[in-house]
This record gives sequence, structure tokens and C-alpha cells, in this order.
Amino acid sequence: MAETGYILVGFFVVSLLAGTVTGLVHHKALARGITVFYVAVHIAFSGYAWLHLGETVLDYFTFDPLGVLLLSILSILTITTVYHGFIYVKDARPRVFAIYHGALIALVASMSGAYLANGMTTVWIFVEATTLAVAALIYHDRTQMALEATWKYVFVCSVGIALAYLGILFLGFTVHDARLLHLSFGSITEIARMANPLYLKIAFIFVLVGYSTKMGLFPMHTVTVDAHTVSPPPISAFISTTLMNVGFLAIFRIYALFSATTILPFMNHVLILSGILSLLVSAGYMLKAKHNKRMLAYSSLENMGIVAIALGVGGIGYYAAILHIVLHSFTKAGLFYQMGQSYKVMGTYKLDESGNYMALYPAGATALLLGFLCITAIPPSGMFISELYLMKAMVWSHNYLLLGATSLLLCFVLYALLTRVLHIVYSQPREKPLHDHIRVNPWQSATQYVLFGLVIFICFAQPAPLRHLIESIINALPK
Amino acid sequence: MNILVVIVFAITLIYFSMTERFRIYAGLIGFQGVLLFVLSFLELNAITLATLLFVALETLVFKVIVVPFLLFRVIEKTGEARVHEKALPGFYSLLFVTLGLLLSIVVSFSLNTTPGNMIYFIVAFFAVYTGLFMIISHKKIFSHLVGFLVIENAVLLLSLAIGSEMPMLINIGILLDIFVSVLILGIFVMRLKQRATDLTMLRDD
Repeated sequence: MAETGYILVGFFVVSLLAGTVTGLVHHKALARGITVFYVAVHIAFSGYAWLHLGETVLDYFTFDPLGVLLLSILSILTITTVYHGFIYVKDARPRVFAIYHGALIALVASMSGAYLANGMTTVWIFVEATTLAVAALIYHDRTQMALEATWKYVFVCSVGIALAYLGILFLGFTVHDARLLHLSFGSITEIARMANPLYLKIAFIFVLVGYSTKMGLFPMHTVTVDAHTVSPPPISAFISTTLMNVGFLAIFRIYALFSATTILPFMNHVLILSGILSLLVSAGYMLKAKHNKRMLAYSSLENMGIVAIALGVGGIGYYAAILHIVLHSFTKAGLFYQMGQSYKVMGTYKLDESGNYMALYPAGATALLLGFLCITAIPPSGMFISELYLMKAMVWSHNYLLLGATSLLLCFVLYALLTRVLHIVYSQPREKPLHDHIRVNPWQSATQYVLFGLVIFICFAQPAPLRHLIESIINALPK
Repeated sequence: MNILVVIVFAITLIYFSMTERFRIYAGLIGFQGVLLFVLSFLELNAITLATLLFVALETLVFKVIVVPFLLFRVIEKTGEARVHEKALPGFYSLLFVTLGLLLSIVVSFSLNTTPGNMIYFIVAFFAVYTGLFMIISHKKIFSHLVGFLVIENAVLLLSLAIGSEMPMLINIGILLDIFVSVLILGIFVMRLKQRATDLTMLRDD
């Protein structure tokens, strides 16, 4: 076994040990120490992956550009999520505290495995593992509502996973070669070119619908929306960013695999349809959203819709899709951390009971406004660049109708977000909240400023390593 | 013989659409487990004995014993015996399911596969359709759970068709089985109580 193999196995062994010890030994200080140690290990592992970019490890894993990019985002967001998690669960009983952090480590490890997986079956196994790990985190508050959300999440994800597996089986029927047991991406690219297109279409549809549960795309988006309502805010941040990236990665992998076949136009049409329906649904529900976290959840649906459309349009849209995934991860995570603080300050997630945030907590309210600018792609948000590239791609491919529809729906989304965020920040609450106000240290918003700062920085300059990485991800796709 | 077993499996799917009693649902899931157990012996003749025994044991333990046992436990615990009152009447359900069967036949024929695989495709598609139909048309979570188990059986059925060439695909499919058991054990049996027979707390308004 080569050095990379030892490092990879070592990482998973450390993950397993850290998660198990944290979850089983109900000791707060120990759990805190192990979690911090694990974050350091994850960052080191991401750095190692950058140094070994392009290498395949033990056949089942690969440090390919997309995997390494998403792994790096995960490392960054693990730091901030763990920090906000410590604050969120600091008063919890030792058992709940330990289970929270044990499940968090399991979730980070399984997402890392999914990013680095070198085959459809390996991705599938890790996606299944993410469902189990995140279920424990959604159920953190142990209320009847949390139970309902957990049940819905696990159930719909399980149906999605089963459907995705049917897609993999159809891929198996086209491969028909025992030597390609684990259906690694590289080995079946050539075979896919010669396969019956109908099999490939069916495989793509099943995989798309199945993994939509993770990516949060229409028609399987409802599951993540409900999960957000009850999840601890740091976990909502993970579900809406790094976990959605897992779904995106799985769909992107199969898209890239089949992009050299005759079914490319079919896949593009399906992605555009799914994307535009996601935008339509998100715009509609955001206009009637009365729950602040659900509003952000629908915003995630909208952004995943944009990514799906960008993939479907192709050309410079591919670049836009990847860049949008990166920027959305930072922005949405920051917004969810902010929502957690707003709950403490205002005592509610309900829109009618929210308000006067600027007076109560100026540091948080300013961060919320900054986050709003970023998520709505208003300059100087970096998301302005990714959406501009998308519009360019639509014009270059003469998709004017799509351009009109997308722009119109984005206007509705902008209006919905603008009215609600301004109400939270400046208006008086329409109803009295049930809970009292709690003071929050302004420094706790620092992570949000850093994340939004990164997104704004991208508007002015895209660092060469990031640009090269995205270019190498889309290199194999049709021009 | 294989084809006969697969056809009996298809008949159980039609029976699912006609019945309204949860105990029959649980019984049918167990019976489908027996059929998959028999099928694994008949179909997987080209794989090693150890893998064959593992697959057979898994179908016998999980599909024939553990899952039906848990379903009967849930029925006892919740006291729910039938699908909810406003469920689609049996006649219309049968109509929709027959439509699904026709659709599965059309799709499978257009796949241009071998006659041996064709019957697997038809029944697997039909099972996925029936499972999704149960989830969509029924209100109680027990029916949703049974619908999911039917989809999961469809996955194993399809993986058995390809299993002799790629046994790893079956082994991974088995992971899904174990996952289901965790799901039922962990959440449904232990936590969801009688009052939560339908889930309506999380809404947008």
C-alpha cells in the first residue's frame, strides 16, 4: 500500500475512533478536546489532498479536483460549524453533548468519503452513511417536531437512496463486466459511450431523482426544508451547504460520465427542467414563508436550481455552476449561523415575532444584511459573478426564454428576501415573541464576517489555484 | 422456475393494491422475502458458495424474519389496523396499479434486453411503481413504510438479475436492508407513538 493509502486509511480510522469515543464517553471536556483535534486532522488531510491532486488511492478513492475542492470547503466550514456548535450545545447534558459531537464527526467523515469516492457504489455507501449521521443531529432537540422532521428526512432520503441504487444497477447492466466491480468513474467512461442510450437515460433519471434528496432539488426538496425547521442552526448550515454539495457531486459525477455519450442533450433538458421548477417552487414558497429558517431553506432550493440550470446550459455555465457551489456554501453557512444568533436575541424564528434586530444586536444585524447582499448576488457579492456567467452562458446558447424565466423568478426571490430581511432588521415585531431576549457577544458574529468577506473577495479577484481547480474540473466536459 | 417465482412476486404487488389491512401488508412483505430467498438460490449459481450463503442468510434473516416481526410489533403498539378512511378505494387502486403494470411492460420491452432479464425488469419497475404509489396515495406512515419496503425489494430483485456477474452490487444492496432495519428499529418502533400516525406538524404557514 502506498503512502497515500496509509494516510487515507489513517484518516478514516481516526474518524471512526474519534466519533465512537466522543459519542460513547459522555464527558463534555473530552468531547470538546477530541472534536478540536479532529478538526485539525481534517484540515491536515485536506492539505495533504491538495499536495496529491489527481492521485487515485486504493482504487476506491481519488484526490480529483472536484473532490478536493469540496473537501477544502468542508474543512473551512467544519471549523466554523464546530465553533458555533460549542456555543449552541454548551448547556446541554453531557450525553446529548457527546452524541451531538460524535454524530458531527461521523457526518464530516462520511461527507469526506463521498467527496473522495472513485466509484458510483462507493459514493452511494457514503451518502447512506451521511443520512444516518445527520438524522442523529436533526433529532438533537428531542421534541415531537424534531422526531417528525427526522423521520421525514430519513424516510425520504432512504427512498432517494433506493432510487439512486436502481440507477447504479442500470449502470451495472450496461457495464456487464465483473472486472469493473466497483464501477469506478474512469473505467466505465469508455463503456458508457457504447452502451444502449435508453439504459443510460434511465440510470441518469434514477440517480438524479435519488440524489436530489441530498442536493435539495425539486421534486425531493421538501425533506431538507423540514429538517431545517428543527435542526440546530450549525447543523442547518451543514445540511444546506456541504451536504447539498454531496448530492451535487453525485449528480455531477454521473453527468460528467455520460457527457461524452449521445444522451447529453437529454441530460441538459432534464437538469434545466429540474432547475427551473426548483426556482419556481422556491420563489412561490419564499413569498409566503413565515419561518426565518424555512425561508433560508427555500433559498438553498433556489440556489441549487441555479446550479442545475447552469449545468444544463453548459459552456461557461459549467464554470458558473462550480463557482456558485463554492460561494453558496460560504454564504448560506454564514446566514444559518446568523439565524442561530437571531433566535437567541429575538427569541423566535417566526417572522411575525421577529424585528428590531439592528437595535438589539447591531453586529449580527449588519452581518445579516451583508449575508443578504451576498445571497441575492448583489455586487460586491461573488455570487454576482457566478450568476453573470450563467446569464452569459444562456445568451451564448440562445436560451432567451430560459434567461427571461430565470431572471423573472430571481426577481421574486429578491423581493421575498428583501422584504423579510428588512423586516427582521428594522421593523418592530408584529407579535410578541414567546421567549426573552438573550445578549450575544458581538465577537460571535466574526465567523460570518470572515465567510461573507471571502464571498465578496471573489467578486474582485478569483485566486489562481481556485480558478485552475475549477477549470480542471470542467476540462473533461464538452465545450 | 425463476420466472414462476418472479410472477408470484408480481401477484403479491397486485394484492398490495387491493388490501387495506396492515397485518396483510406485513404478511405480504414477509412472503416477498421468502420469494427473494428462493430466487437468490436459483439465480446466483455462478457466485462463490460463501457469497451465496451470505445473500440467502440476509434475505432469510432480515426480509423473512426481522422486518415482518417489526411490522407486526408496530401494528400491536400503535393499534392501527387499516389504511385511513379517505384512502383511494380498492377498485381505483387496482386500476392505477394495473396501469403501472402496463407501463412497466412497455418500458421493459423498449429496453431491448434478453428474455431472461425482461421479466425481472417488468416486475422491478412494477414494484417501484407500486411502492411509490403506496407512499403517495396513503396517508398513514405505516403505509409509507410498507411502500418503501416494496421499493427496497424491487432493488434486491433487480440486483439478483445482475448478481451472478457482479455480486458486489448485491452485497451493497444488502447494506440498504440493514439500513432499513436500523430505520424501523431506531425511529419508528422506539420513538413514534400512537398519536403520530400521520405527520402534519411541519408546515409553511
